[in-house]
Amino acid sequence: MHTDARTLDNGTVLQGDLCIVGAGAAGITIARELANTPLKVILLEGGGFEFDPKMQDLYRGENVGLPYFPLQAAALHYFGGTTNHWAGWCSTYEPIDFEKRDWVPYSGWPIRRAELDPFYARAQSILDLGPYRYDPADWKNGDDERVPMLGDSKAIYTKMWQFSPPTRFGTKFRDEIVNAPNIHLYTNANVVEVIANDALSTVQSVRIRGFDGKEIRARAKRFVLACHSIQNARLLLASNHQAREGLANENDLVGRFFMEHLEMPAGELVLADPAKTSTKIYALDFAERTPRGELAISPTAAREHRVLNGTCSVEPGNLGDEVKSTFQFLDTTLMNAQRAWEKSGRKGTPPMASAEQAPAPRTEGVPRFYHLVSRQEQSPNPDSRITLSAEKDALGMPRAKLNWQMTELDKRSMRTFYQVLGAEMGRTGTGRVQIHDWLLSDDKAWPSFISGGWHHMGTVRMATDPRQGVVNADCRVHSLNNLYIGGCAVYPTAGAVNPTLTLVALALRLADHLKATA
Amino acid sequence: MQLDRRRFLQLSTLGVAATIVGDACVGSDRPDVADDRPNLLEMLGPDRVRMIGKQYLASKPAETTADALRSAISKSRHESRVPLMPRSLDDQVREDFINGHTVLVDGWVLSITEARQSALFALSA
Repeated sequence: MHTDARTLDNGTVLQGDLCIVGAGAAGITIARELANTPLKVILLEGGGFEFDPKMQDLYRGENVGLPYFPLQAAALHYFGGTTNHWAGWCSTYEPIDFEKRDWVPYSGWPIRRAELDPFYARAQSILDLGPYRYDPADWKNGDDERVPMLGDSKAIYTKMWQFSPPTRFGTKFRDEIVNAPNIHLYTNANVVEVIANDALSTVQSVRIRGFDGKEIRARAKRFVLACHSIQNARLLLASNHQAREGLANENDLVGRFFMEHLEMPAGELVLADPAKTSTKIYALDFAERTPRGELAISPTAAREHRVLNGTCSVEPGNLGDEVKSTFQFLDTTLMNAQRAWEKSGRKGTPPMASAEQAPAPRTEGVPRFYHLVSRQEQSPNPDSRITLSAEKDALGMPRAKLNWQMTELDKRSMRTFYQVLGAEMGRTGTGRVQIHDWLLSDDKAWPSFISGGWHHMGTVRMATDPRQGVVNADCRVHSLNNLYIGGCAVYPTAGAVNPTLTLVALALRLADHLKATA
Repeated sequence: MQLDRRRFLQLSTLGVAATIVGDACVGSDRPDVADDRPNLLEMLGPDRVRMIGKQYLASKPAETTADALRSAISKSRHESRVPLMPRSLDDQVREDFINGHTVLVDGWVLSITEARQSALFALSA
């Protein structure tokens, strides 16, 4: 069932067993898993079914740290959430990403990778991916030249990616959600406050406000905040009428540890003998979505050098080319063009492919030169955080203020990656690696083109100890017995690869928990 | 803030600290005809290799002459695992990478031997 919340009377109270706030990848996944169960599910979406600039403006915020993309462009505020413009890149987090690493402060998840494996496998089909296989040997596709470089290396390996079409949750699952007998979707239902009991131990309701000032409430036995990472933190912090510092913030953790993936050009590769080294498995094929590899630091090398997890893509080009970071390369115009291309039947070259940042090699035959573009986890940093701005949005809610900060470990890790890669390329006679100037400078300095991947993680992190994290291993807020968090906000560490596959896996895991404990 | 590559030449800091052979001249081997022809030439071309060589020379005052460079290359060649059997330059370059005998010149992660070869090339060009 679906209702536009704008049609409801002021003071209306919605009642359900479970209230999910946010209908993006996490919220829709959880709702679908609970479809056709005895549970009465309320699914609240702030936006409608289409992009609306007025609604999107609610996500505008301040940037007071390192340069960052405008917040209102980084996440989408309508049914389907940010899957409405994601690029579809999927890969798994590695076991080391979940481990406590003594050289990475605040690292360690309360769950292991093995616990996520069955959920990763289930997430594959939701995201329209292939089989749950991420070994390069599984993706030769009958081509003996699709083999990894540095196959014998203990320091560098090839990490595989699969590509979602990309799945637009708002399109793919709209009918299923609307037609589910036990799910009631409310659009244009912006939650502006979470209200708990006097003891601050149980959430009783959420307050929903419209642009016209009309307010309704949703009551439920249990709640899931399934917004994006900035919004989840913002909502808890702004729920400060009962607790001055915001709900679930007894330990001053909400909003902290905001993390991104560092996606920046950082090196060059020249092959010793292009005729003998195949790079086919690293080729990016947007149109066919052929799985591809990236070069990655092995857990052994990461431990030895005490660095973060990271990969790099291998893009043909020429020395001296200007290579752009993700923030420079991708913008909303390009993503809108990509969506229009999808909607019009995918005819011709995808806009993202034609805008490929690496120009075609000018030489004939197999390219000799390649640009190496980093993709690296950002170390968890309590000073990298979301707080509330003094400015309020059209609904009277304080806007988010982002203070994105790095540590020296972030830069040292990336530089070390290329040093290790360079040594391995030399040892095997495969080629040589050049590290860009900016990466050789002071570890506290970052260039103007510093870039994330529009991947917001952290802010409501998961930990066994309430002093270390806001939610427990079940994604339930430690201090509130019926409030859960869905989405990337719970990630204690960022991993090296894009977060959506892991997000959906965690949402499936949370849905199973909610079903089992209903 | 960016650092000029020409000012940046540092030994590898990978934890496998480089133990570069000393600067002192040793022996009186006949100069290897291939000493100034690094394999890098095929990969990067003469202009880039010359630039690499010049940057290496600028950063290593003790290795600014052809004799000093040849001597340093020769010394490490004779640090062969098999006594009296000097390694080929290709093997020496590979072993440099294995043993962490690497340097950063113009941002390139190079074996110390090929960096010296590049310097010889720059001197001879």
